[in-house]
Amino acid sequence: MKKTMKFALACTTAMIGTSALAEAHASYTIGITQNNVGVDSYQTTYEQAFIAAAEANENVEVVVLDAGGDVARQIAQMEDLIQQEVDAIIIWPTNGEAVIPAVRKAHQADIPVIVTNSNIAEAGFDFVASFSGPDNVTQGARSAEIMCDRFKDLGIENEAKVVHITGQPGYTTAIERAQGFNDRLPEVCPNVEQIDEQPGDWNREKSQQVMEAFLVKYDDIDGVYSGDDNMGVGAMNAAIAAGRADGITFVGATNFAVGYEAMAEGTYWGSIYQSPVDDAEAALKTAIDVLSGEDVPFLNYFDTPKITQENMDEFSKPVF
Amino acid sequence: MAPEKRKDLLKQGGIWGFIVLELAFFSIAGEYWAVTDKAFMDFENMLLLLKQSAPIGIIALGMTIVMINGNIDLSVGATFALAAIVLLDSMTWPFMQNLGDWAIPLAWCFALLTGVILGAINGLIVWKTGVDAFIVTLGSMLGFRGLVFMYNGEQPTSHLNWTLVDFAEAQFLGLHTATWFLFGAAVILWLLMTKTLHGRNAYAIGNNREAAVNAGIRVGPHFLWNFMLIGFLAALSAVVFYSESGSVNPNDGMLFELWAITAVVLGGTKLTGGYGSIVSTMGGVIAIQLLRKGLGHIGADTSTVNLVIGLILIAVLFMDRQLNRKGKEELKV
Repeated sequence: MKKTMKFALACTTAMIGTSALAEAHASYTIGITQNNVGVDSYQTTYEQAFIAAAEANENVEVVVLDAGGDVARQIAQMEDLIQQEVDAIIIWPTNGEAVIPAVRKAHQADIPVIVTNSNIAEAGFDFVASFSGPDNVTQGARSAEIMCDRFKDLGIENEAKVVHITGQPGYTTAIERAQGFNDRLPEVCPNVEQIDEQPGDWNREKSQQVMEAFLVKYDDIDGVYSGDDNMGVGAMNAAIAAGRADGITFVGATNFAVGYEAMAEGTYWGSIYQSPVDDAEAALKTAIDVLSGEDVPFLNYFDTPKITQENMDEFSKPVF
Repeated sequence: MAPEKRKDLLKQGGIWGFIVLELAFFSIAGEYWAVTDKAFMDFENMLLLLKQSAPIGIIALGMTIVMINGNIDLSVGATFALAAIVLLDSMTWPFMQNLGDWAIPLAWCFALLTGVILGAINGLIVWKTGVDAFIVTLGSMLGFRGLVFMYNGEQPTSHLNWTLVDFAEAQFLGLHTATWFLFGAAVILWLLMTKTLHGRNAYAIGNNREAAVNAGIRVGPHFLWNFMLIGFLAALSAVVFYSESGSVNPNDGMLFELWAITAVVLGGTKLTGGYGSIVSTMGGVIAIQLLRKGLGHIGADTSTVNLVIGLILIAVLFMDRQLNRKGKEELKV
């Protein structure tokens, strides 16, 4: 009885509205529960991009939820999505461990879970179909390539000396980026020497102090690699204050607005562009690929391209 | 007496009428706007509703009693987080790990004890200094939250125990573990407030503190008991919730005090004290969770949910005023 009612309803509405028409076409329903939309512009842009990507795809219907940073609400949203029998769930964890039981519940209900942006703890890996996010090792390697290419342009690839400022010790992102850079630089520029490596703790002031010490210690510095642009700009400011910025190539990662501006001014050389739009579209695509039975790697990274003074006009200024 | 009774019925029935309205609205709107084919009033969905009401619901029950007293407790969110940390962290202590699964009930006791102690601190200060509970618990809200951050900095405190998770996810006679705790607490507190001397005293003190003192009620110790009770309930809420999730962020439980107060006020309890009921608070709790769930069901975003709840709260208080106090406390402009 109820089914026929609904069917009749679907038919009549399909005749009236085009939105209902899309509903009839939709083959996948995907639910997403986000961390905290509105807390920063990366997450806000992410949500808009996700909705836009879903609207552009007529085979997909999305349920977009936001946990507001509240673990309890995120778990309730997971339960609601399971109860609504969506085809797949995308989760941006508010807490990489607290959501594991809720992820397991979805797994037990045969709903594939895609983790987006930051992964959950290893105890939950068994219940996750795929992780969609940035690849920090590649980001480090690409920074090394940007640095090496610049040295070749300047003709100093056989004598250049590089210092390296890393993120906060213990953070996976910091460790992976440093590893990517340190492995790749000797491969592309074997004669470039890394003369020092110190943590800048993701902090601009700390990084500035580290760079001040480097400038005192070393008379010849040709390149500075920082784990993100925030620290890179701190190091650059130290070099400007010492009057030595002109001869130094500054390369960072996660292009921030400050880094983008410094590149436009010509003092900062390059970085890695990580866009929330790409992040969102990659998450949706991963979910669709998982649902259509394609072979998706467990760690499904989205591309974070190189950005330098030469190609920066291809990118819009980061919102954060 | 008869018109008084009818007014009471109208007031207490109001929240349930509102719930019926919500159910009807979301069921119909869901047919049109929801992406899912499942009905909103699906039985499983209603069971989930009760379960999801538990974290704020258990706290709101305690808040009802404190507010009937004419007091308020703003520190419950911080108490909730601190009890959660004690629950999860205590299970990683060496002697607790040696106990195997027996560590679980012990960890619960530690967490509940934490709640009672924090509540006792509030109660003692209110009793001995005579400072308004609003100010005292505002201070302890900040202070307890400070303790939470001192414990583990900005890092989450985690301990995932699958035995515990399985217990918390279990369903007995259809109801989830959390729902049983919510109902259990509601029944006990309902009995406390309607059948015991302590309950009658609570209303008497809220109605007229002077008169209560003159009648020989020991108001200070009475407050102390009630603050210990709400501390216990905030910790119980944490025990129920974190048994299932195994990790606590240092800012968890923020704004829980306001959601609990919202639920209590929606249920018709007076901010000034002396009037209110446990059963109506349950109605308020369910009404809020229904709104959150229902608006999510039809695809509204979180900001809309908060806006709607805020508007409804003001509307409810306005109607309450029109119904009950017309002519008595009208503003003379």
